[in-house]
Amino acid sequence: MKKKNRTLEFIQAIATDLLFWIYIFGCLYYLMHKWTGFTAKLTFIGIAALLATIIFQLIRGSIGVKLFLSSGKPKRSVLKSLWGYLILLSLVVTFVVGLNIVEVDFYKFFTKFQNAGGIASGIFDPSVTGYSLSAESINELEKDDLPPDVINTLKGIQNRKYSTRKVFLNDLQKRLGESTLQEYKSTILKSAEKNTKLLNIALSALAETIFLALLATVFAIPFAFVLSFFAARNLMPRTWLGNIVYLVIRTIATIFRSIEAIVWAIIFSVWVGIGPFAGMLALMVHSVAALTKLYSEQIENIDTGPVEAIKATGASTLQTWIYAVIPQIVSPFLAFTIYRWDINVRMATIVGFVGGGGIGLLLLQQQQLLRWHNVGLLIWLIAFVVWVMDMVSARVREKLIGI
Amino acid sequence: MKNIIKLTDLHKIYEGGTHALKGVNLEVKEGEFLILLGLSGSGKSTLLRCMNRLIEPTSGEIEIDEENVITAKGKRLRKIRRHIGMIFQQFNLLKNLSALTNVLSGKLGYVSLWHSVTFSMHKNDVAIAMSNLQRVGLEQFAKNKARNLSGGQQQRVAIARALMQNPRVIFADEPVASLDPATADSVMRYLGELNKNDNITILCSLHFLSLARKYGTRVVALKDGNIVFDGTPKEIDEQKFKDIYGEDAEEVEIR
Ligand SMILES: Nc1ncnc2c1ncn2[C@@H]1O[C@H](COP(=O)(O)OP(=O)(O)O)[C@@H](O)[C@H]1O
Ligand SMILES: [Mg+2]
Repeated sequence: MKKKNRTLEFIQAIATDLLFWIYIFGCLYYLMHKWTGFTAKLTFIGIAALLATIIFQLIRGSIGVKLFLSSGKPKRSVLKSLWGYLILLSLVVTFVVGLNIVEVDFYKFFTKFQNAGGIASGIFDPSVTGYSLSAESINELEKDDLPPDVINTLKGIQNRKYSTRKVFLNDLQKRLGESTLQEYKSTILKSAEKNTKLLNIALSALAETIFLALLATVFAIPFAFVLSFFAARNLMPRTWLGNIVYLVIRTIATIFRSIEAIVWAIIFSVWVGIGPFAGMLALMVHSVAALTKLYSEQIENIDTGPVEAIKATGASTLQTWIYAVIPQIVSPFLAFTIYRWDINVRMATIVGFVGGGGIGLLLLQQQQLLRWHNVGLLIWLIAFVVWVMDMVSARVREKLIGI
Repeated sequence: MKNIIKLTDLHKIYEGGTHALKGVNLEVKEGEFLILLGLSGSGKSTLLRCMNRLIEPTSGEIEIDEENVITAKGKRLRKIRRHIGMIFQQFNLLKNLSALTNVLSGKLGYVSLWHSVTFSMHKNDVAIAMSNLQRVGLEQFAKNKARNLSGGQQQRVAIARALMQNPRVIFADEPVASLDPATADSVMRYLGELNKNDNITILCSLHFLSLARKYGTRVVALKDGNIVFDGTPKEIDEQKFKDIYGEDAEEVEIR
C-alpha cells in the first residue's frame, strides 16, 4: 500500500516536471526561432526537457517534487525554494511569448495615434444635420464630368460641415461665383444631400436593430419556456426517460449557448441572405439556449412546498405546474426576458457587422467608406440606446425580483 | 364506528438507505382526532406523506375510505387524494396569489384541465371558497396576497384550502410548529371544530403534549419508525413521555 503510493507519487512528479520543461523549452525555442531564425528538430526540445527533468529530480528542487513527493525533500534552503523560482521563470517566459504572439507594439500605440484621428474627429464632431461633401461624393461629381477647377474648389471644402442648406450655398457661391454655382447647383446638391440623409437612415437602422432584438427575444420565449420545464431537475421524474430528456436538453442548450451569436449570424446570413432576418434568427437561437438555462434555473429554485400542497389536493401534473410552479416564476422570467432583450440589442449591433442588418451593417458600410463623421453619429446613437436599455432593464429587474 | 384508515406493515426505505418506517400497523376510526407524537426524524412526516403517496412507500398496505391507495394510479390516485386535505408546517401557500385563489386551488382535483388552464373557476366554487374563508374568519382578506398575511392567517387559509376539497380526512404535519403559542391554539381550535362539526377525521403531528391533551382523542407515538405508544392522551404519564422523547426530556407546557 505504502509502496504503491510512493511509485504513484514518483510518476506524478516526473510527469509534471517533464511537461513543465517541455513547455519552457518549447517557449524558448519559439522565441529563438522568431528572433534569430534558429531552427532545430523538435526531438531536440524533448531531449533537453528530459535532461532538465533528470537534473532537477536529482537535486530534488523541482516543482514535481514539491507538489507530489511526500518525503525526500531537499535539506538545503536554496533548493527548498527553487520551485518558486521555476514558477517565476515559467511566468516570465509565458508573458514574453504572449507579447510576441499578440504582436504587442508599444511604439505603434504611441506614435501612430494620428491614424485614429479620423474616427476621433468623427466621434467629437458627429454629422447630425447639415451639409457636407465627402471625398466619396466629390469623386462621384468628378465622374459626372464637372470641370477640374470646380472639383478643385470643392476639394478645398471636403468634409467641411455646414449647418443649413443656405449656409452651404452661400459659401459655394463665394467660392465658385454666382454663374458657375447656378450651372452645377443641382448636381452638387444631389451629391451633398446623399450624405446628409444619414440621420434618417441611422434612425431607421436603429429601429431595425431594436426590433430585430425584440423579435428575437419574443420568438425565443415560447421555445425556452417549454424547454425549461423539461430542463429543470426538480420537475423531471428520475426515471431513465426523465434523465435522458433532461440531459439532452441541457447539453444542447449549453452547446448552442457557447456558440457566439456572431457565428450564428454568419451561418444564417448565408442561409437566408444578409439582412435583419438573418440577424434575428442568430439572436433567437442564442436566446433560446440562454433563456432555457436561466428559466430552468429559476424553476429549480422554486419553493417545493406549494407544489407538494397542490399535488396533495388531487391536481394533475399539468395543473400542478400551472398553479404551483408558474405563479412562482412569472416575475423572474419577465425580469430575465427583459434583461435578454437588453443583451440582444447590444449583440444585434455586432451581429449587423457580419450580415445581420440594422445599425451594425450601416456602421460597417460607413466605416469602409471612411465617413468618420457618420461613424461618429452612429457610435453615439448606439451608445445612447444601449445606455437607455441598460437603465430600463435594471429598473424593471429591480422592481420584479429585487436584484 | 368503522375504520377509515387501515395501514398494514408499512415500510419506507429512502434511497440513501434510511429505514424511516419499520412496519407500521394502524387503524383509524372515522371521526378520531389522532395526534402523532415523536422526536424529529422519528418518521411522522414520512408516515403522513406515504398515506397519500406524496412519498412512495416501499412495501405494505394502505386502505383509506375503502380504497386501496397502494395500487391506485393516475386518475384514481387523484380521486383518492382529493378527499384528503393536507396542512403543512410551512403553510405551503402560493405567496404571490390572493388568499381566495389559494383557497380555490383546493378544488383543482375536481375541475377540468381547461378550467384550470384558463383560471376560470365556476361562480359556485368562488362562493364556496368565500364561505370557507369565512369559516376561518378571513373573508375580509380574500383579495390580499398570501405573503402579506401573518403566519396564523396563512395557516387558516391553508385550512380553508383543505376544506375546499370536501375532505373526509385531514393530515396535518406539525401545523403549529412555526406559530406562537396563542396562534397555535387558535389554529388547533379550527381543526377541532372541523373534527366535531364536519366529522372530518384528523391526523395531526405535534410536539406539545398540552395541545395533544386538549384536542386529541387518541395519541400514537413513533420512535425510529416504530409505533411505541397507542392510547388516549390521559394515559401519557411521565414514564411514557420519557419512553417517547428520551430520558432527558422535560415536558414543556403550552396553554
Ligand atoms: N427525502 C428523504 N430522503 C432521505 N431520507 C429522508 C428523507 N426525508 C426524511 N428522511 C429521513 O427519514 C427519517 C424520518 O424523517 P421524517 O419523516 O421527516 O421525520 P419527522 O417528520 O418525524 O421529523 C429521518 O431519519 C430523515 O432523515
Ligand atoms: Mg417532519
